[in-house]
Amino acid sequence: MSGFRLETGGRIDRSQPVTFSFDGKTYTGFAGDSLASALLANGVMLFGRSFKYHRPRGLVAAGSEEPNALISVNRGPGRFTPNLRATGVEIHDGLKAFSQNRWPSLAMDFGAINDRLGMFFPAGFYNKTFMWPRSFWDKVYEPAIRKMAGLGDAPTAEDPDVYASTYAHCDLLIIGAGPAGIDAALGAMDTNKRIVLMDEQDELGGGALADPALWPWLERSVKALTDAANVTILTRTTAFGYYHDNFIGAVQRLTDHRPENEDTPREKLWRIRAGEVVLAQGAIERPLVFDGNDTPGVMLSSAAKVYANRYGVAVGKTPALMASHDSGWHDVFALAKAGVGISAIIDVRESVDSALMLEAERLGIPVYLNHGVVGVNGRHNVSAVDICDYGNQRVHRVNTDALLMAGGWTPSVHLWSHSKGSLKWRDELGAYVPDLPNENVVCVGGCSGDWDFGTGAVIDMLPTPKDQSRIKAFVDFQNDVTAKDIKLAVREGFRSIEHIKRYTTNGMATDQGKTSNLNGLQIASSALDKPVPDIGLTSFRPPYTPQTFGALAGHAKGALFQPTRTTNIDSWAQAHGAVFELVAQWRRARYFPKAGENMHAAVNRECVAVRSSVGIFDASTLGKIEVVGPDAAEFLNRMYTNPWKALEPGRCRYGLLLKEDGFITDDGVSARLAPDRFHLTTTTGGAARVLNMMEDYLQTEWPDLDVWLTSTTEQYAVIALQGPNARKVLEPLVEGIDLSAEAFPHMAIREGTICGIETRLFRVSFTGELGFEINVPTAYGRAVWEQLMAQGAQYDITPYGTEAMHVLRAEKGFIIVGQDTDGTVTPFDAGLDWAVGKKKPDFVGKRSMARPDIVAPGRKQLIGLLTDDPNVVLEEGAQIVADPKQPIPMTMIGHVTSSYWSEALGRSIAMALVAGGHDMTGGTLHIPMPGKTHSAKVSGVVFYDPEGARLHV
Amino acid sequence: MILIHCPYCDEKRPEIEFANAGQAHIARPLDPSGQSDAEWEAYLFIRANPRGRHHERWRHIHGCGRFFNAVRDTVTDKFETTYKAGEPRR
Amino acid sequence: MSEALFRNEPVPSTPYVADGVSISLAAPLKRYSLRARTAEALETVLNVKVPQKIGATEGGIACLGPDEWLLRTAAETAMPTGAGLPVAITDIGERSICLIVEGPRAAELLMTGCPLDLDNFAVGRATRTIYETVEIIIIREGEDRFHVEVWRSFAAWLWTAFTAAASH
Ligand SMILES: [Zn+2]
Repeated sequence: MSGFRLETGGRIDRSQPVTFSFDGKTYTGFAGDSLASALLANGVMLFGRSFKYHRPRGLVAAGSEEPNALISVNRGPGRFTPNLRATGVEIHDGLKAFSQNRWPSLAMDFGAINDRLGMFFPAGFYNKTFMWPRSFWDKVYEPAIRKMAGLGDAPTAEDPDVYASTYAHCDLLIIGAGPAGIDAALGAMDTNKRIVLMDEQDELGGGALADPALWPWLERSVKALTDAANVTILTRTTAFGYYHDNFIGAVQRLTDHRPENEDTPREKLWRIRAGEVVLAQGAIERPLVFDGNDTPGVMLSSAAKVYANRYGVAVGKTPALMASHDSGWHDVFALAKAGVGISAIIDVRESVDSALMLEAERLGIPVYLNHGVVGVNGRHNVSAVDICDYGNQRVHRVNTDALLMAGGWTPSVHLWSHSKGSLKWRDELGAYVPDLPNENVVCVGGCSGDWDFGTGAVIDMLPTPKDQSRIKAFVDFQNDVTAKDIKLAVREGFRSIEHIKRYTTNGMATDQGKTSNLNGLQIASSALDKPVPDIGLTSFRPPYTPQTFGALAGHAKGALFQPTRTTNIDSWAQAHGAVFELVAQWRRARYFPKAGENMHAAVNRECVAVRSSVGIFDASTLGKIEVVGPDAAEFLNRMYTNPWKALEPGRCRYGLLLKEDGFITDDGVSARLAPDRFHLTTTTGGAARVLNMMEDYLQTEWPDLDVWLTSTTEQYAVIALQGPNARKVLEPLVEGIDLSAEAFPHMAIREGTICGIETRLFRVSFTGELGFEINVPTAYGRAVWEQLMAQGAQYDITPYGTEAMHVLRAEKGFIIVGQDTDGTVTPFDAGLDWAVGKKKPDFVGKRSMARPDIVAPGRKQLIGLLTDDPNVVLEEGAQIVADPKQPIPMTMIGHVTSSYWSEALGRSIAMALVAGGHDMTGGTLHIPMPGKTHSAKVSGVVFYDPEGARLHV
Repeated sequence: MILIHCPYCDEKRPEIEFANAGQAHIARPLDPSGQSDAEWEAYLFIRANPRGRHHERWRHIHGCGRFFNAVRDTVTDKFETTYKAGEPRR
Repeated sequence: MSEALFRNEPVPSTPYVADGVSISLAAPLKRYSLRARTAEALETVLNVKVPQKIGATEGGIACLGPDEWLLRTAAETAMPTGAGLPVAITDIGERSICLIVEGPRAAELLMTGCPLDLDNFAVGRATRTIYETVEIIIIREGEDRFHVEVWRSFAAWLWTAFTAAASH
């Protein structure tokens, strides 16, 4: 056992023991422990296996920069979280944690063979080695690599947890609640600013939590801030991204630190807009680069101080310090004060401040200046280190059970960089610090390079007399990148740090190089013999630390994933067994199967009912726009292809809408209610798009027109009543409208009441039968529907869904925009040239109808297809060829757009877009489908009642 | 999520209330039928793709509903200015 | 015959009550979209004061845009059609429903999905905006009381979203 709990000290609650497990073994810690500190206290030094070489790894740090100790936590089915840092997991009773990337066990890992073969895994190894044969990549190389190199397992079960989400606004957002952040909050507390102070840890204090001398100050400060009404304190909250205009994303962890899974949200996503941001994220200590620096027991000296002073845990009985910076000396003095025996202070520098020497002497700690560690003994834990006297190159051994690294400090400029603030290089720190802001933000304390840790030497790696090719000196612990890899990249010609980073993967792990970027830069700088600023700087990107998908999704799962729009009649359809489909965001009844019916049988029955008696259909989703104003007719005349000015009030017209490029974008039947008022309809999916397009022309091209557009899609429920008995069903319920064929012809609109409710009654038909579309105020849609059902019972009135609607319209050759057109179809291509006003000087899309490509021969045109075998229903989307005997690949001349079984005709029907199709009537085309190539005769698109006699009754 | 100043509402509002509507100051020809194929092609299809200052149209679609013009830097995503439809190019 | 017909509403008629906030369906209202180039043009037709500034409300009329106003009223008065005049008056009484969000946590609840700073949104102010992906109109009726207008087909989703957020 090398780690242990100190007799006194720390902020843990020794009266509250906590029982938890790691890899199935039970341990005890105290409330206030992190998983890392509790395991250390139990003597656990081995936390995981490395990504590539499966080397045994222990803790490097005590905070969120930890690169090695990635673990998984299992909170039950669907609640498995991989790749958590043991330093950030708070223990609680029943916590189940597991190590990762090892098989069969952490102590005896088969994959460690990779380490013995490590000479074969240099930078670019995968790219260079697994190139040939190509087919081996998917089946052999990649699965094997993925199995051996990896992090934790992704969970497969659905996440049962609830996640909250909110926007928030404040005048001052302070990120990081160490002394600098707390001072910023105290300084602003007495203003009327709304202040948010957040910190990723479970309590405020940051570095002060490891400095008992500051605890009285900390307690006073936290109380003052907690009492201030204008200060919101968010602990366990990680600001993960800094976006434009001071918009910050943060995740607050609400329940993971508690033993029970609860109904309350697990995490909360904060989307904060701040007037001013203060970044007080501190600085991260830099490891030193030397052979064996990844051995468990080698860690940052500042981390050892945190474990001792915050958690009351010694990281070893006799730790030694390897320093290039004064701060390490102060750390081991603090450890000595906490009762930890220090075996040696080794410093690469030839001389240090005499005060440090005096204090070391007073504490009886042996000091080796101008020395460096050149080897670490022990595989699963440090047992001794070999140090080299740089004066005479002699190496001797120091027995120790832990080695602390003090390589200087790196300001945490991650969020500053997200915000696109610029950085400047400071030689004396060997680090980039914030320079010019790009937002209203300031950096304070450690992250601005402002600290009182003393001074240090900036070095790339510790000098060593050993053969460079035989050592493993790690730079990026998480991605297993060594100094050798970076030098190799330089030798192979990489010059920019952006390229070196990608080639070696240095800094590309989940920790984004928090402990490795600067060392990597220094090594590349030495290898290239160029100053660091000349080889650039890699960018930090969100997230600062990995976040759960659950937190980012927030409410947007299950029923709240996205809105499902429903009509007023939807609840009736649901109650009557409708099968639904989604059309845009709308849920629409597709068909209404009776007991034992499949879709085919139900649709046939529904179609027959409409053709023989009467059917009823919920058409509420049709887009509606009310166009009102003195220039309403003029506006529509400019928008639609056909003339609108002469349309009389009370009459309807089919409108075809093109985009300026001449292609069909929407269609619908619209009515003139009054000289200055029109009721437009659009397709279900096109409603918002059409309104936006019309507003665009109105506001920006023709702002002189006195006309206004209002969406009335949801003002009216629309019930289509279709079939020869439609009028008979309607007559007893309607007042104020003469329904006779003479008084109320096809393509007319009347206003009156139905069941006492005001209605806009259209006489229109999308089925080819006598038909009405009843518009009533939406709240009454279901009630009117039920009245019609009752009134229609004597005619066996039949509700039908979108599938029957599609069949009925196809029998009549009515197109559906977006199904029979695809954004490249002109009115002429679709056979709708009758709907184009030839005499109109202009309308949207008219000029484009004369574009060279649009008047060229061979365009795809809409035709009808009747299969030679009437029982074959072609697949929609099937490709069409002229000659089935041509060699493969065949020349495809078009495709099937609509295809159905027509019960009315007793055969299949189809529509298709075929190059030059209008000239092929009577000819034969061929449609290869799975199993067989079918032949079909080209016809017109109107298959049923081509004279339209059934409409005018 | 950026903030965009709506020149009609005269305040900065969150980006998700807005919709981009493409390049600004492309007027529909008054007499489209009089346009040559080349002129019409230029009007329909040819758009600028600058690195830096870009004039574009936005609509405060989930707000006051108005289209307006903006100058945005395509590198920094910062809005230099916004102004009402019909006002001269800035 | 209209007495026999029921109104079918997309959200429960029973209020949802959580700690510090309640959500309830408002009684049916008449609603009109009023459009004109100026407030004066509408005042001439309607014979009432029409607010000039976007966001302002006066006498049940909210100014939503430079040429757009929303009139909400419980009164059974007949509206002029504005026929022949350069105005547009359109009945949108059943296009939306109104959810009343009330209580000390009312603003906080709306901000769970609405990106506006409702701490700085004066009583009496109205605006069209968005809650996550759904367009809404917010009218602050009192310090702790908001009206939220939402199109009917989105109302069930918004009710679920509001009640879920309120329960957190
Ligand atoms: Zn606006």
